[in-house]
Amino acid sequence: MSGLATITVRDCWMSFPGKEPGAEVHVLERVNLDVAQGEFVCIVGPSGCGKSTLLNIVGGFLDETRGEVYVENAVVNGPDPGRIFVFQENGVFPWLTVEQNIGFGLLSRPEAERAERVRHYIAMVGLTGFEKSYPRELSGGMRQRVEIARALAADARVLYMDEPFGALDFLTRLKMRSDLIRIWQAEKKTILFVTHDIEEAVQLADRVLVMTKRPATIQEEVKIDLPRPRDLDSPGYLAARDRIFSIMGMDAHGGGG
Amino acid sequence: MNRRVLHILLPLITGVLFLTAWHVAVKMSGSDIFPTPRQVLDGLGELVRQGLLLKYVVASLFRVSWGFIAAVLVGVPLGLVLGWFRPAYAALNPFIQILRPISPIAWIPVAILWFGVKDTAPVFLIFLASVFPITVSSMAAVQNMQQVYLRAAQNFGLGGLELFRRVIFPAALPQIITGIRIALGVAWLVVVAAEMIAVNSGLGYLIIDARNAGKRYDLVVAGMVMIGLIGLVLDVLVRRLEKFDEVRWGYGQR
Amino acid sequence: MKLIRTLAIVLTAWLLGITALHGGLNLRWFAKKTGGSAGEKTFGVGFLPVTCHLTCPVTHYINKEMEGRDMFQPMRFNAFPELKEMFLGRPKEMPATFILAPMAMALREQGVKIKIVHLGHRDGSAVMVHKDSGIFQTADLRGKTVAIPGRYANQRLILYRELRKVGMTFDDIKVIEMPPPDMPAALLSRSVDAITSGEPFMAQTELDGYGRVLWQAKDVWPGFISCVLAVHEDAIRDHRPEIQLLVNGIASSGKWIDESMTHRMDAAQFVATNYYNQNPRLLSFVLSKPPDRVTYSRLKPMRPEFEEIERLAKEAGILQGTAHFEDYVDDTFAPDPTTVQAPHFEVKK
Repeated sequence: MSGLATITVRDCWMSFPGKEPGAEVHVLERVNLDVAQGEFVCIVGPSGCGKSTLLNIVGGFLDETRGEVYVENAVVNGPDPGRIFVFQENGVFPWLTVEQNIGFGLLSRPEAERAERVRHYIAMVGLTGFEKSYPRELSGGMRQRVEIARALAADARVLYMDEPFGALDFLTRLKMRSDLIRIWQAEKKTILFVTHDIEEAVQLADRVLVMTKRPATIQEEVKIDLPRPRDLDSPGYLAARDRIFSIMGMDAHGGGG
Repeated sequence: MNRRVLHILLPLITGVLFLTAWHVAVKMSGSDIFPTPRQVLDGLGELVRQGLLLKYVVASLFRVSWGFIAAVLVGVPLGLVLGWFRPAYAALNPFIQILRPISPIAWIPVAILWFGVKDTAPVFLIFLASVFPITVSSMAAVQNMQQVYLRAAQNFGLGGLELFRRVIFPAALPQIITGIRIALGVAWLVVVAAEMIAVNSGLGYLIIDARNAGKRYDLVVAGMVMIGLIGLVLDVLVRRLEKFDEVRWGYGQR
Repeated sequence: MKLIRTLAIVLTAWLLGITALHGGLNLRWFAKKTGGSAGEKTFGVGFLPVTCHLTCPVTHYINKEMEGRDMFQPMRFNAFPELKEMFLGRPKEMPATFILAPMAMALREQGVKIKIVHLGHRDGSAVMVHKDSGIFQTADLRGKTVAIPGRYANQRLILYRELRKVGMTFDDIKVIEMPPPDMPAALLSRSVDAITSGEPFMAQTELDGYGRVLWQAKDVWPGFISCVLAVHEDAIRDHRPEIQLLVNGIASSGKWIDESMTHRMDAAQFVATNYYNQNPRLLSFVLSKPPDRVTYSRLKPMRPEFEEIERLAKEAGILQGTAHFEDYVDDTFAPDPTTVQAPHFEVKK
């Protein structure tokens, strides 16, 4: 189990039918990546480049046009309860309470075990006291916590996260990032995380994969070997961040370069 | 406290203004056929004294209850299935759209031929009038459902009946309740047409019979007023459904 | 789910409750069964709450009071289309009905197994104008709007006949179709110039003071036939004795009504209150002023009369002329008018 990657993508291409008949929109080409077990890998790239599409393919919601995707040594045919997708918004079921949502993947377990797991993960994401609340009564950040807790409670081994903090305000985002790292360190899940925010990627990931414009491929990989929690002023952090900016053709002060 | 005053006082004021305007209009036109509010009230009193008002209200409510509830029991599952299964939608939707615009009044001859003049005939007409709005809105509820819910559910390994029961139906419920609310209004509206079929009780029958009886337009308007009031009560009751947690989430913040 | 469970309980309870209430109040589920006619089969007889169909409720009432028998149930309709549909669709439930003569003849032409067995009445129709209109004779109707009940109404034929007498046709007037109950209001508001239908709608305008008679049916077409009693052929074949009883009853009630003014007034009272839900004063007026406004005697169907209706209807374009007297009439039931006896019945005062 140790040497084999948890997620393997080989020579993946993806096209969608275009507006005109016969026309095609090429979104992904020649994508190769590996994610080892327990790794936290971020994918960044220009807006609309197809990073979400790639994540959906890995998650099993879309079928690649060409190429192979393996997760946990099996070909991906569809979504799997052991590998939960966390959406940017509205992933939480609005007709269920917080505890009903978190227990959603656990209905086959005995009552006592389910209640215990739900209680544990509510505490872990810091939502104790909100068990009977409905999502409409919670803030955006709290809803995302519910979604993460739901994935963890169901014993997911892999989390696919598609810009999960994109709809939140700046301060909440900072808090969510540090909470996520804390949880990840405790639970040791494999996480594949898509974001457009380069700072976020550098704050979270072991490795950052940088994608090109559409049709996108992975142009470079940046290893981030810094201790966590990451110091936003340290030279290592800034160097990594600048490196990614320059790969993407921008300088650290924004704008083209 | 303030809100209650608002919701009771304002309609009361509008009501009084309306009744005054009605009275004045009738007097000024010099018509001795169209009734004044007072005459309508007297007509209602007459019906109460004869014990007819209760009988008629019960009869109409009876027919609408059975016709409408049957429409819900048929329309909601049918709409859900049509919304979810593309082949079913392709096969049946055109027929639904063809049948939908046909007024219940046009169905009266068919109703008599099939059911005679017992209660089943108006129940059938009310069923017809209600089943289409319910089916169509249930269908739309499924088709317009957020894809996110489906994907999340499938991610957790849900499929088939469980997916329906735990995700599709709850997600569609607010829009289904809206459709039910509209359909109840239609069902109650159709009661006059449905009771044209020679039944001998009911508020619709009251109106038609009063018309045949000569100059009893006070009873005609009395019937209209009763229908309107009961329609209001029905709507208020359905709106209470919207307070349930399973439905409230779909109605936005107030 | 809380909502579904609550709804299921509440709705089931409501359905049970409202059904019990309806059954108790309207369907008389819980009333004691009336003895006597319990085991007998009942036949429906369709009628409209109009003076032309008076013999229907009168027969029922007299039978019930005198003999406690209920075999023929009057079934009230609000308009001819629904009555016709019931007869066509469920003749086992309603094998007999009062109906317009031209309508019965047209149905026969279209293959319906209908047979006229007796007349409903004679005369009982009129053309009314507003008392302030300048209309005093048929020729004054030129260019005016006249409301008639519908396609197969006899009023259309009598109007056609009268117009022809003064050299006019339907093209010289504006004809609109309107339900008879709405006609008095239309005349009052002068939105039409003249109205014609059966009673009591014509008399109503007179009683209320704004209508004036242009002519009455009895004066321009004596013995005018409007409504008849028709029976489905299957009932004739399978229930001959019962149909004979019905026709005998209708004939004798007619004789009873025409026997004396007291009977007429009594009939006005019990029919208006129990069957028609109209003002008894109106019905009394129709039956008395003048006393021969409508009559209920000499009601055996006769060939020459029907052939005249056939001819007129064909000219007026409402019949094809493919059905003839022997097709649409079965006169074997109707008793000879000279032998009809009225029942010895007096209303208890």
